[in-house]
Amino acid sequence: MSCVNLIEKERNAIINPLKTCQPLGAMYAVTGIRRAVPLVHGSQGCSTFVRYSLSRHFREPSEIAVTSLHEDAAVFGGRRNLIEGLQNVAIRLNPSLIGVITTCSSEIIGDDIIGFIKTAKKELAEKIGEEKTEKIKIVPINTPSFVETHLKGYDNAVKALIDHIAEPSEPNEKINIIPGMVNPGDIREIKHILGLMDIEGIVLTDISDPFDSPLRPSATELKPYYPKGGTTVEEIVDSANSTGTISLTKYAGSGAVSLEKKYNVPVELGPIPIGVQNTDQFLRNLKKLTGQDVTDDILDERGLLIDSMADLSSRYLHDRTVAIYGDPEITAGMARFVGELGMVPQLVLTGASNKEFVPDIGKVAKETGVEIDTMVGGDLRQMEVYLKDNPVDLLIGSSDGRLIAKEAEIPLVRIGFPVYDRVGYHRHPIVGYNGGIHLIDLITNTVLENYYEHQHWKLQQ
Amino acid sequence: MPYKLFDVSKPIPERKEHTYVKHCNDPEDCIPKCNSKTIPGSMTERGCAFAGAKGVITGAIKDVAHVVHSPIGCTMYGYGSKRYPTTTELPDGSEFPVKDFNIKYIIGTDLQESDVVFGGMKKLRQAVLETNKEFPFVNAIYLYATCTTGLIGDDMDAVAKEMEEELGKPVIAFNAPGFAGSTQSKGHQIGNDTLFAKIVGTTEPPATTPYDINFIGEYNIDGDLWLLKEYFNEIGINILSTFTGDCCHNELGWMHRAKLSVVRCQRSSTYIAKMIEEKYGVPYIKTDFFSTEYCAENLRTVAKFFGLEDKAEEVIAKRMAKVGPELDFYRKKLTGKKVFIFSGGPKSYHLSIPLHNELGLETTGVSSMFEHEDGFEKMKDRVKEGALVIDDPNTLELEELIEDYDIDLILGGVKEKYLVHKLGIPSLLIHSYENGPYMGFEGFLNLARDMYSAIYNPVWNILEFQETEDPDVADVTGEVAEEVEK
Repeated sequence: MSCVNLIEKERNAIINPLKTCQPLGAMYAVTGIRRAVPLVHGSQGCSTFVRYSLSRHFREPSEIAVTSLHEDAAVFGGRRNLIEGLQNVAIRLNPSLIGVITTCSSEIIGDDIIGFIKTAKKELAEKIGEEKTEKIKIVPINTPSFVETHLKGYDNAVKALIDHIAEPSEPNEKINIIPGMVNPGDIREIKHILGLMDIEGIVLTDISDPFDSPLRPSATELKPYYPKGGTTVEEIVDSANSTGTISLTKYAGSGAVSLEKKYNVPVELGPIPIGVQNTDQFLRNLKKLTGQDVTDDILDERGLLIDSMADLSSRYLHDRTVAIYGDPEITAGMARFVGELGMVPQLVLTGASNKEFVPDIGKVAKETGVEIDTMVGGDLRQMEVYLKDNPVDLLIGSSDGRLIAKEAEIPLVRIGFPVYDRVGYHRHPIVGYNGGIHLIDLITNTVLENYYEHQHWKLQQ
Repeated sequence: MPYKLFDVSKPIPERKEHTYVKHCNDPEDCIPKCNSKTIPGSMTERGCAFAGAKGVITGAIKDVAHVVHSPIGCTMYGYGSKRYPTTTELPDGSEFPVKDFNIKYIIGTDLQESDVVFGGMKKLRQAVLETNKEFPFVNAIYLYATCTTGLIGDDMDAVAKEMEEELGKPVIAFNAPGFAGSTQSKGHQIGNDTLFAKIVGTTEPPATTPYDINFIGEYNIDGDLWLLKEYFNEIGINILSTFTGDCCHNELGWMHRAKLSVVRCQRSSTYIAKMIEEKYGVPYIKTDFFSTEYCAENLRTVAKFFGLEDKAEEVIAKRMAKVGPELDFYRKKLTGKKVFIFSGGPKSYHLSIPLHNELGLETTGVSSMFEHEDGFEKMKDRVKEGALVIDDPNTLELEELIEDYDIDLILGGVKEKYLVHKLGIPSLLIHSYENGPYMGFEGFLNLARDMYSAIYNPVWNILEFQETEDPDVADVTGEVAEEVEK
């Protein structure tokens, strides 16, 4: 008997989406590569809107090129736009890699991306020489906007990068990590855990520095500006030689599966290490793939989280109802964690339609004994209407729910993407034991502020 | 040579004609090439026609449901992206049930692969019906074409007509797919043309006065309109229709009944003012309300049309008394500072003179993503010898000009802001503002205050680690406190 109560959206139209289209995920992934440039083959809105979205969330530059398809290209095809665009990016920005990202328009027009790249490379070689041309990796990434969501675009990008670049040579004893679409703080926490277990990692791809980079004019690469950090092309090449791949999300595991099929790199897919048990699972996966022990240092960090839970959960959080919305992996991970905190995950909502989501929620339902109202392929309007008859104590999700939260007078704990009406959320992890500590503080403080402040004497000790 | 090719743009020499360096003796027609196709892969800052139509023109209307006919991306990106607050007040005295409805909701058809193959019109019809069921109180439903629906050839006008008949309320299609035109400007034009053709002349106002104006091209960014409306009200001028800040659908229908059209954003909306003049004989004037000088001058002009000059003087005197002393403080602090205006369109010519005359700033250069020739002529006229006037500058060029020119502040958008900071220069959001409104008397004071706080942000003095402490510590805070007390 399942304790998941699936609630269907009773209309076809989307009102206030909880997802966006594939190209954004691909642009995000390419930005995580050292000196790489995403080149979007589409209309200017396809780059401008994404740059706007990324910049307002991370408060960082988001440098993305576009082939600027106008009417003539819509009629005759975008051949010259892509060929010229590639050369202009290659010559002016001297990148290590260009990710050619398609859009709805270039997919519908049916542009022969592979053929155009070949021509562009030939013309480029005539201008800057064979050797320089060969140094710039050009990776075609098909991201038709009318198929699935931004997560699929991220998955397609990571897979395309691996398929085009990874090359087997000597085993490297490293572990590949596909982080999914998370924040810089999350990737830093994952690297911290790897460090404590003495494991070297290759993050595919690592946006932690590119989307949270220091302001140090004297130490910044300029003309063109490239942010510090990111996964190097050499690391992607080397990913074929790793001892294993862990994708922190099962929604973007195609690259990992590809590495397994082609080069026998064993793979573990998900879950995202949010909360205690999911992080435990991540550590077990790491141990399984590398043979490294889970060290005392990590267990102490686990103990700090457990300590906080012992101190705070039953006293402040027990039985408080929560609605969680966002990307499927993060939403499922959060649902499990609020269950671990003794809270009630009353509603979970994801904009994606992936089937894997329901069994994940079913597991949480079993663990918590709660019947969880679940919306798959839903939107924020659906949640707004639901909350009128089924109020909760706390909302957990992105800034896009802020006006719903305000009107329903339910406090909102911000996680995921995008968060633009508060600051710092991209810096703090929600993954790993440290992420758990950050989250329990955030959740508890929100509860204290909203449900205890009116009886302030309860807060005296 | 009046044109300049940035070093970073040497591989794309066609950029040269887009970058003009002001020389006072140049003939008048010497302006940068503009409003032309973008060079692919040049790291442009431009947007698309859909952004121009929904994002700029119609997104400010308060009582309309916006349905984006697209795969999910365009719908998501059309959601709450502009700072266009709205009230619930309607001109007939009734209340619209949801505040900031335009910011709060967006609807999309979420087109899938099969729709691309078989067409999306059925889905669009269904979305319109569902929208009307979900939000029965909306006074109209607007539909937006996007690249996908433009390419698959969905006949949106046909769906709009059919749905309008079925629902008994206006349903209007805006055919501005992303690839139309070379910039978002094409979307502005399509927005104007569509609203004129479908709405203007279809309704009558609840009441008229001899002092009725259309306030055109004022979108109420961060409350601009609400500030300017106070001035007009005090003068005795009645804003009969605003195109389109905090306006309602019906209000656009009676624009033909105004005595005068006052055009604020000249790039995005002179079109409709012209069409209204041609068809209905309502004259229009182009105005400018950035800065105290322009605001006063233009209030006088509009007031003069109605014979209300004395009232205008009262309003101006009252506001100047309010903002003058504080502006004097900022003028002292900002004099001699150098600014580059990296705007979308007209702000590049609205701001250069007032920033100099009223705040003492020098304009090192101006640029625009989507201005046309007439705008560039004004931009050029209003800057000094040697200043840069650039069409569609790209991020590499931005880097070079920051390196080569002495610039203390860049006024730009969110896409440029954080890059500019990485280069060690303060930057202020000028498209949607930071602590606005920026228009009018009080607004100009807000702008001055934001420019001051950006330039004098203490962080710029401690950017890099120093091996030894600087013994000569300037008493900056003491000096400021003293000035304010005076």
